[in-house]
Amino acid sequence: MTRTPLHASPCRFTCLRTLLAACLAASLPGRAQQAAPLPDNRHTTHATLFGAGRSSLYETYLSPLTYTGPHLSVLHETLRKTHWLDGRITTQGVFDGFFCLASNPAGNADEMGGKLNYAHGWHYNWTVGHGLRLMAGAEIHTGIGAIYNNRNSNNPVQAKAELDLGATVMAIYPFRIRKTPFTARYQASLPLLGAMFSPRYGQSYYEMSLGNYDRNVCFTHPGNAPSMRHFLTLDFPIAGFTFRAGYLCDIRQSRVNGLRSHIWNHSFMIGYVKHFSFVKRKEPQHFPFIL
Amino acid sequence: MKSHLLCLYAFLLALACTSCIREENPDDTPANNFETLWRIIDTQYCFHDYKEQEGCLPWDEVYAKYRPRVHDGMTDAQLFEVLCDMLSELRDGHVNLYSAADVGRYWSWHEDYPANFSDSLHRAYLGTNYRIASGIYYKILDDNIGYIYYGSFSSAIGDGNLDEVMHYLRLCNGLIVDVRNNSGGTLTYAERLAARFTNEKRLVGYIAHKTGTGHNDFSTPEAEYLEPSDGVRWQKRAVVLTNRSCYSATNTFVRDMRECPLVTIMGDRTGGGSGLPFSSELPNGWSVRFSACPMYDADMQQIEFGIEPDISVSLTQEDMARNKDTMIETARDFLKQ
Repeated sequence: MTRTPLHASPCRFTCLRTLLAACLAASLPGRAQQAAPLPDNRHTTHATLFGAGRSSLYETYLSPLTYTGPHLSVLHETLRKTHWLDGRITTQGVFDGFFCLASNPAGNADEMGGKLNYAHGWHYNWTVGHGLRLMAGAEIHTGIGAIYNNRNSNNPVQAKAELDLGATVMAIYPFRIRKTPFTARYQASLPLLGAMFSPRYGQSYYEMSLGNYDRNVCFTHPGNAPSMRHFLTLDFPIAGFTFRAGYLCDIRQSRVNGLRSHIWNHSFMIGYVKHFSFVKRKEPQHFPFIL
Repeated sequence: MKSHLLCLYAFLLALACTSCIREENPDDTPANNFETLWRIIDTQYCFHDYKEQEGCLPWDEVYAKYRPRVHDGMTDAQLFEVLCDMLSELRDGHVNLYSAADVGRYWSWHEDYPANFSDSLHRAYLGTNYRIASGIYYKILDDNIGYIYYGSFSSAIGDGNLDEVMHYLRLCNGLIVDVRNNSGGTLTYAERLAARFTNEKRLVGYIAHKTGTGHNDFSTPEAEYLEPSDGVRWQKRAVVLTNRSCYSATNTFVRDMRECPLVTIMGDRTGGGSGLPFSSELPNGWSVRFSACPMYDADMQQIEFGIEPDISVSLTQEDMARNKDTMIETARDFLKQ
């Protein structure tokens, strides 16, 4: 079988293509590594974290000013090893949400913001050395939420709804300090293609309620929606339980329909981790009936 | 392995290159507050060209006229006065500046005209045995003419309320819908009431919105229809009483009612206010409201400066001295013909 080489052509979106190539390349098995034997057990990690931090809300549909304030957040993650590609594919589901109360610079007006997100990712993973494990792949993300300004008239709220496909990388490094096991992890995600809801520049929700739609679903890419997410965590044991502390930086931005928006969340999170192994039985076990 | 690491480096580089979408909050200085307000109106206000046609100062010239009056040493009260003077150039009742101390306003649309409404006369006509259905006061007048007074479309009204009102008034020979001094509120309530006066879907106007920062960046106007209510509908003649204080949602209500076949508009010209107002704010926290989405009548004509009645009637001093409301009496006579 022969392989046809890919010929690169000059393109304005070189960076974007590089990222797409990164996703595709990362999802292929590396030839230098032999696939690990398929384990009988499917290991699954569940983590639930609660956090608090600061939000920055900038929504030109509501105000030309940036609002800042505290937020509370919650995140639940499921990381599961699959049988695909000799067990080198790991799936990740992350559900998270936040609620914030932010004020304008003068302190006489508030905005309430809240959003729920779900991201499902597929990662190819390989070991680099010294226990460091790298993972890279793609994820699909959807989110819904709103920002409400407490003193605006016919533009009191900006609804948020988005669906995107992105690239994600992760590095996991287990280590020990005085025989105590720790696991450090860093994950970065970058949406690449997607769609989001937005009113037109001066369109009211009243008009939309009449059924007048005007480019309210917008195509998004890093040029008009440069968003990203960084998640740094440390797992540590206490009294036989595994806890996780972390920092989450969630940057969601858009520049569509003449409206500019950002939601920047910086959260410090803490929670617990549970590990499960689904044991596959080799043979059916017969239980004697007790009469 | 190298290729994978290169891919990772490329990914991290792309993350590092992700640009921020932000705008530094301007400092709270008189100049910055002036500039912010001028820019908000310049980019988001929806009647610039129409107001110029009607004799208002072009917005660029407004800047040249008022910017020299702003300097760093001025007090908040002085700045508020300059900004309000600037906004009053728009001659728009939907344009307001709100500070903790005052509300900047342009109310000439009703202050410069006869009130054509008297609280004492109104109380005399209502008496004490009138009914109240949420925001609607109603009764049957002595000559079997129904009378509805809806003083504010900010007061909620439901279909259940309207069913009860229409059912109670069903045997009347005609109906007076008095919306004098109703300066607006929620469009939904205005439409809910108007829907009781049509048996078929009617084109009542158009609505558009801005699509960009330019003075002429507008969407294609979309038709607005009045759908008949599923509840009890009025099938006889009706008169809508108006004065110069009928503004905003009430102006839209009159626009809608004008398209209903058995309805006659009577009284004074309405105050206008056909722009759906949006809000924004200045670095010092003052809030500003302005017309953002233009609404037109069924002929695509502007109604920003009001709607002429079918029959012009004003309160006369003679009638007031006799404790008579000229407009209600004229409406009663009209409905009895």
